[in-house]
Amino acid sequence: MRPDNDIPIPDYDAELRALFDALPHDAPTDPGAAERLVVRLRHEGLLVRHRSVIASISSVIPSAARDLQFRWPVGIAAVLLLVALGAWGGWTAGRRGSLEEMLTRNDLTVGDRVLLLQRAGSAYVTAAQSYANATARTDTTAIEVASRVLLGAAHAVARNHLDAGIAEQLTTVLQQSATRSRPTVWF
Amino acid sequence: MSLHRPSAAVPDETLVRRFLDGSEPAFRALHDRHTPRLRMLVRRLLGRHQHELDDAVQETWIAASRGAHAYRGDAAFATWLAAIAVRITLKRLPRLRRDDGELSDDIPSPSDGGPATVIDLERALAALPAHQRVVVVLHDVEGYTHDEIAEQLGIAVGTSKATLSRARHALRRALTEGVTNAT
Repeated sequence: MRPDNDIPIPDYDAELRALFDALPHDAPTDPGAAERLVVRLRHEGLLVRHRSVIASISSVIPSAARDLQFRWPVGIAAVLLLVALGAWGGWTAGRRGSLEEMLTRNDLTVGDRVLLLQRAGSAYVTAAQSYANATARTDTTAIEVASRVLLGAAHAVARNHLDAGIAEQLTTVLQQSATRSRPTVWF
Repeated sequence: MSLHRPSAAVPDETLVRRFLDGSEPAFRALHDRHTPRLRMLVRRLLGRHQHELDDAVQETWIAASRGAHAYRGDAAFATWLAAIAVRITLKRLPRLRRDDGELSDDIPSPSDGGPATVIDLERALAALPAHQRVVVVLHDVEGYTHDEIAEQLGIAVGTSKATLSRARHALRRALTEGVTNAT
């Protein structure tokens, strides 16, 4: 039996060799082939969409940061930045319209100030109720604080003539009650 | 060009690693870079079965994508991809194992009776029996060695050489006789 190396293989003549050398090695591609493949590979989970988000973020920073070794740190930094911005935005949105923020504003209309007065009164009632619920109803501290606040409010209303005379009577009653209780240490 | 598209300077190995991380731009870069040559290889291997071309190329890319984690960079990515293409294309040539090595009766003659052209050679290659065509394309067009062809096709080295010998005889006869008949 003849060894493999001894099998005679005829060589091409120069003309045929030239034809082989002239054969093209590239064929035109189907323009839609890549899109179909991308869809298929996404469906199989081999391509993930969120990568393009990270790529988009990294595209606006220096090109060196787009290198492989910087991609994860950049992605993590971008996520932390987004979280911080979201937290700040949420805190700002939550604070806007709060009682404390409304009290500091001087651009409110008369109607807004009436509503603010109602909200503050409701807040006082709610706070007093919850304080009483959280402690024994006989808690003298709660009684003292609630009374002093109410007295202060009554003075303010009376000073500004917002009470049609009712506050004067109420102040007199509360003043008598307050003088009988022990003083409150304000802090 | 898009900012997200890797430049041509990015090595294939880097693009493969990025693709394994799920990067679509990396996949598109690999696809754009290697599909023209891959498509021509598959087209030649298929011969007259050109209706299989699009499916074979797509199946090659899907198989390469699924197996990309196994690519270690030991060989060029183009070589690794071509090996997958050959394996998939051979599955689509049902008569490959049954062909007896004889040239088809309707192998074309050189056009217009003149000297053979590249087009004539392409037509003659397409008309070869499938197993001869595969060996000729891999050896004479793509530059594979007989050892590589034997490993790729699962045949003996001697079989690869014998097949190439018969294929070259057939090609030369087809192209020469065409010219002779015309003159």
